[in-house]
Amino acid sequence: MSAAPEPGIAPPPPFRNEPPLELRRAPVRAGLAAALEQLDRRLPIEVPLLLGGDRAGADRAELHSTDPGEPDRLVARAPIATVADVRDAVAAAAQAGRTWSRVDAGLCAGILRSAAAWMRQHRLELAALALRECAKPWPEADADVCEAIDFLEYYARGAVALSEPRHLHQVPGERNEMRYVARGVCAVISPWNFPIAIATGMTAAALATGNAVVLKPAEQSPGCAAMIAQALAAGGLPDGVLSVLPGAGEVGAALVRDPGVQTIAFTGSQQVGLDIVAAAAQLAPGQTHIKRVVAELGGKNCVIVAADADLDEAVPAIVASAFVYAGQKCSAAARVLAHEAIADALLARLAGAVSVLAVGQAADLATQVPPLIEAAAQDRLRSSGEQAEREGRVVAVAGPVPDRGWFAAPTLVADLPAGSELLSRELFGPLLTVERVPSVEHACDLIDALPFALTGGLFARDPGTVRYVRDHTPVGNLYVNRTITGAIVGRQPFGGNRLSGNGTKAGGPDYLLQFVEPRVLTENTMRHGLAI
Amino acid sequence: MENGADPADPLEREIARTGRELAAAFPPPLRNPVRSADARAMELAAGDAELKAALFRFVDVAPACRSLDDLARHLTGFLDEVQDAPGPVAAARRIGGSRAGRAALGAAAAGGVRHMAHRFIVGETLEDASGTLKRLWEHGAACTVDLLGEATVTSDEADAYAARCDQTLAGLARIASRWPGRDVLERDSLGPLPRANVSVKVSALTPLLRPDAPERGREDAVRRLRPLLVRAKELGAHVHIDMESLDSREAVLGVVLELLSEPDFRDGPSAGLVVQAYLRDSGQMLEQVLEFARSGARTPPLCVRLVKGAYWDHELVLARQHGWSAPVYEDKAECDRNFEALTRRLLDARPAVRVAVASHNLRSVAHAIAYNRAAGGEDRDLELQVLRGLGDELQEALARHGHRVRTYCPIGNLVAGMAYLVRRLLENTSNDSFLHARASGVALDELLAAP
Repeated sequence: MSAAPEPGIAPPPPFRNEPPLELRRAPVRAGLAAALEQLDRRLPIEVPLLLGGDRAGADRAELHSTDPGEPDRLVARAPIATVADVRDAVAAAAQAGRTWSRVDAGLCAGILRSAAAWMRQHRLELAALALRECAKPWPEADADVCEAIDFLEYYARGAVALSEPRHLHQVPGERNEMRYVARGVCAVISPWNFPIAIATGMTAAALATGNAVVLKPAEQSPGCAAMIAQALAAGGLPDGVLSVLPGAGEVGAALVRDPGVQTIAFTGSQQVGLDIVAAAAQLAPGQTHIKRVVAELGGKNCVIVAADADLDEAVPAIVASAFVYAGQKCSAAARVLAHEAIADALLARLAGAVSVLAVGQAADLATQVPPLIEAAAQDRLRSSGEQAEREGRVVAVAGPVPDRGWFAAPTLVADLPAGSELLSRELFGPLLTVERVPSVEHACDLIDALPFALTGGLFARDPGTVRYVRDHTPVGNLYVNRTITGAIVGRQPFGGNRLSGNGTKAGGPDYLLQFVEPRVLTENTMRHGLAI
Repeated sequence: MENGADPADPLEREIARTGRELAAAFPPPLRNPVRSADARAMELAAGDAELKAALFRFVDVAPACRSLDDLARHLTGFLDEVQDAPGPVAAARRIGGSRAGRAALGAAAAGGVRHMAHRFIVGETLEDASGTLKRLWEHGAACTVDLLGEATVTSDEADAYAARCDQTLAGLARIASRWPGRDVLERDSLGPLPRANVSVKVSALTPLLRPDAPERGREDAVRRLRPLLVRAKELGAHVHIDMESLDSREAVLGVVLELLSEPDFRDGPSAGLVVQAYLRDSGQMLEQVLEFARSGARTPPLCVRLVKGAYWDHELVLARQHGWSAPVYEDKAECDRNFEALTRRLLDARPAVRVAVASHNLRSVAHAIAYNRAAGGEDRDLELQVLRGLGDELQEALARHGHRVRTYCPIGNLVAGMAYLVRRLLENTSNDSFLHARASGVALDELLAAP
């Protein structure tokens, strides 16, 4: 037996993914409705503006999040941060970060893992909140919570490993050491589509590596952000290390421009991402760092179906990739490139499969396609649908679609002309296009011509085809013979290339490097002719 | 001995005696002096995981290939991934290097896959299969016909499958009416047994099955199964609802129990369902089924087919990927013991149910026969089932000894049958399988020992 580990910094067990709820078992499903009822009684959630260690916000303007499926239902109320709040929060974070960055990595990891444990205890409550605030159906909401737990556990371990000095070349009389240290204040600007997982992931990565964080959650999901802050506080995160500033784009813009911010972790739309990259490149008075941007942007994700594909597997996987969570995932399938030998059969079967999709409220387990996040998204998809009718052929539409709520009917479109902008613009909704291609090589050329490179899919059984597509498509995550959504921490490090992102891989072994700066110490150990 | 079974125990003695008697009645193994190429390939594959993977992937894609060249290209593509290839594999790779060689290799491989498929699939259509089904009957084996098909992902496909089932029920009833009388196959102590027997898959009757939400798929499947039960009742045929992976079990059980509770079906048709003994909670499911069978007082009684289960790899992989505890026994002996426990439970539950024990494990089959006799049951009140192509020898031995045996006979084309074929090949090459153990020369006493 080895000596008992010191309390608080016992090495954690090896990482394993948090198991999703086994919803195929009736007793597991039976607990869901009660969790939702319990949450509903607590609504609306009063979201605090966390500024340094204080709860502020009494006299600010408010923003409201509502249930996308039942827009009259108020889910959360949050004070909108002002420009002064942003300045104060960054200053407070810089202050708190000086202490936090010196805390032992093992202790930081312990805090993150305690936060993960808190989330495990509040799993159904968290999932219910994601369901209400962002219309995530139960399996998706549960996966969102699991992913958040995974990020906390994975980055906690990764940061401990990263805190060990790196091995360098050594010669007599000289000691060389490279360490990674926190960069400084990290601004986290998170999206609503994975309201718990992505906000937690970016925040956890920054915290684990010793950075203080100012989190600006999406204005559609402040309630989820409040619960993340609650989890971290319960895990023992010292006051002031995390600030939470609810608000819309102006708050994020002010945060990005603040001279005290050193790292910006952003997941969201391409336009906002590029604006952030541009703003971060502007040197503000008082700024002492070159800001680093971690950007996870959109995609126009294609699935190639080769002539030897098993359509029995391809059809359900494509439908799930395109329509689960109403297509509101950056990884979702948007275009199918079908080899002409199987294109007709595939289109017919896809049409049949799309037309029986169940559109409905997120709380209903039978629902496959929930409402979109907001009215503007509904309008956008409606006009895209009309455009598809004008330019191509609408092959299938699922229905009926509820009148109330921001629903959009799942739509399958074929025969669009090659130049149609529906084939290049990210729609972020339940519209899937199918194109006929003469060869896999041609399909790869079409993908290579896109400015996006996030996810891609391939259905093929010839190992040569798999190798060819791997070598000829630039996507960050290529999935073969499966769905193209649902990346899992530690198993599918996730992120895109080209204009889909700057190549960082969330949930991967080198993600934490974005949040640290390397420092090298070289010491002369020769004294009086003696190498010590 | 793990379960405390004593070889001197009278039941154990009877199991050993029955097992040896059946083994002696197996047809001689080498009727074909020239072993077919696919049989040799399966033997090679059973000993080499990489080669097995390559072969399975090839069999899986074969029907989707568009030419002999395409076939050969796939085959060599898969074989290229095998390290330390045995001689015949290296030869195949070399041949695949030229166009003419590929054509030859493709033709040989296509022949191999066809040969393999014909072993397990009795015909493309019922008409093709009718000769084989009649011969089986004449040799003392009844059948249940299973319609292979592509996965159902649309409502049209579900309708088409239901229509095929309907035609098959009618066609089989017509064909079977011309078969000669075989008392052992058409009557037990509870009454007559239908000659026409069709196994139906709920997953093919609806595109809406989802593990997280069984109700919607269940309603849709009920809608299509109801007319089939009406038709079976008119024809005096039997409908057996197959069980598939755990993902659909709740829906499948729901469909069967709901429909058979309807007043129209209180007095027919003859119907049945399946319990999979590899599931850790199969005992609970069986109790639920028995409670239903006792409360409903249907005539004829529900037939329960006890199987080990054909989705073992699938269940285990799915559970591992999700971090769930495995729903299936991972230890073969544990699974075999459960199979025997459920066999006894079922046999004791008669006459509320009819019992069909479906296994190729000689020990499991001998146990069922011996326990039935020890419990005072008649042989004709125990049905034994085998799969076409895997249990042919056991079928012959059972028939020779006057047991009622029913052979599961898939019908369909090669494309549609591929998923079925791959499952059967998995079973045939699994190191845990009884068939593999027997083929590799494990002593009979060992095979018949209590698990």
